[in-house]
Amino acid sequence: MSTTAVAIGVGHSWSVSLAICIRGLQRLRARPVILIPTVVMPIFFVISFTGAFSSLTKIEGYGTSNIFNWMAPYAALQGAVFAGVGGAMSAADDIENGFFDRLLLTPGSRLPILIGTTGYSGVRSIIPTTCVLGVAALGGLELPGGVIGLVSLYVATAGLSVVFCLIGLTIAYRLRSLRSMMIVQVIGFSSMFLSVGQVPIDFLEGWLHDAARLNPLTNVLRLARQGFVGEMSWDLTWPGLVAIALMALFTGASAFRALMKLAP
Amino acid sequence: MTAVIEATGLIRRFGEIIAVDGVDLSVDKGEIFGFLGPNGAGKSTVVRMLTTLLHPTSGSARVGGCDVMTQAGDIRKMIGVALQDAAIDPLMTGSELIRLQAVLHGIPRSVIRTRGPELLERVGLTGAIDRRVGTYSGGMRRRLDLALSLVHEPQILFLDEPTTGLDPTSRQALWQEVRRLNAELGTTVFLTTQYLEEADQLAGRVAIIDHGKLVREGTPTALKGTVGAPTLRVEVDLESVALARTVMRGFGGERPSREGRVAIGLDEGAARVADVVRALDTAGVTVIHLELDAPSLDDVFADATGRRLEGSGDEQ
Repeated sequence: MSTTAVAIGVGHSWSVSLAICIRGLQRLRARPVILIPTVVMPIFFVISFTGAFSSLTKIEGYGTSNIFNWMAPYAALQGAVFAGVGGAMSAADDIENGFFDRLLLTPGSRLPILIGTTGYSGVRSIIPTTCVLGVAALGGLELPGGVIGLVSLYVATAGLSVVFCLIGLTIAYRLRSLRSMMIVQVIGFSSMFLSVGQVPIDFLEGWLHDAARLNPLTNVLRLARQGFVGEMSWDLTWPGLVAIALMALFTGASAFRALMKLAP
Repeated sequence: MTAVIEATGLIRRFGEIIAVDGVDLSVDKGEIFGFLGPNGAGKSTVVRMLTTLLHPTSGSARVGGCDVMTQAGDIRKMIGVALQDAAIDPLMTGSELIRLQAVLHGIPRSVIRTRGPELLERVGLTGAIDRRVGTYSGGMRRRLDLALSLVHEPQILFLDEPTTGLDPTSRQALWQEVRRLNAELGTTVFLTTQYLEEADQLAGRVAIIDHGKLVREGTPTALKGTVGAPTLRVEVDLESVALARTVMRGFGGERPSREGRVAIGLDEGAARVADVVRALDTAGVTVIHLELDAPSLDDVFADATGRRLEGSGDEQ
């Protein structure tokens, strides 16, 4: 008996990444309930924050007088964090139930395992973003930045989802438990709050101002929000893209190192 | 014969615990090799090292001529693995898993379109391919796991306790498939088990592991030959055990047995059973139950370790 000729190369790596991404979506189709936290929480944010702070944007400095335009991108990014953590949770679940061994027995590099899982998180982020936009549209969301503004939001949410998935994977590969994903949720919540999510940076004072200024998520929020609070601007676009790229690079290297330690 | 699996001085530590302690083994091409031992003996750890899922702490191993440390990718191309806990996603269907496994191993879609249904038919899952695996019975999951491990037609198949938890019918069906793979396709099979009968029925050669160390290795017949005499087990009243032991020691060396029983290796075979019963009767010991077993792998295990295998009958 001879082993069937196995084509291992770049093409195979992409096929494996794609298959892992598709598997995640198949799981979502099989059990849509998995999506509840990812969708319900950001919708809750957009409804509760726009209700509680409806007059906030009347103050000058927000760039928009429509509270939905201010809060919807923030809620969408919260949803992206959930989507990212959800992707990492599926990997942690695989580690706990043994399915991960099947992936580790794949010939070739371990990198496609990482790419497939993060790709799944990125795709998954489309769902909460779209749901948030839908709910906000019912409340009167406007889109002064046009289609480019919309694309900008989806790029920001997908990017942030990838970053938080990679943070989650680093922790999952090291601690090998589903419960450890709580840590990522805490990181997600706190880092979002320490940015310009709720108010513009000029409204923040003291250490909160410094934290928001240094927080790379501030740039991601500006990228996501710009199409909803005014015209699109390259000056707000590139810092967001660079922040996502650098965070993805750093967290990706960290996750890959953790994966190689788990399964050399 | 060419060795396709070789391990030399294989050691694996987990902190202070030594799970595998200097294992040397060699498995020839086309062989069914049984790796027998109780729970926690180190069987699965050895399998995980040989299948590149775990690095040895020290020692070396080669599978299909490739080093497990430096040529792990090449090894993964030629092995099929069905691990102890069937690594199957309950949210996926049988056919989705087959397709995923094919992609993971670089099998073209055109090939898997014909091979997938063939494999599922062979393991008796044709009617369940579009059902979620979460609805499968334990036996069906095991059979699917076996089918998945065969998607890329591996030269070497690792089966880690493939029949644990299966009913006798499912166990027989799986044995039959393993025999067929070995006989018709020449697949080398490395089978870990805690079931004596399984090792006896399937394996051409058996290695027994206990506390991380190999304690015996050889063909089942040769191993049983080393134990020699058949085992005579006598069940008596608890109060009479000591007396029965004294009487029976005159007929052969004592062997491990359960409480309330005395077991000996009957030196001159079945012809002495009547003499033993008479001697016990003369001594005033009432025999409740008596059985004579030809040497088994359990006797080999007991001879090597002083204990009986878990769940296999008598245990000291």
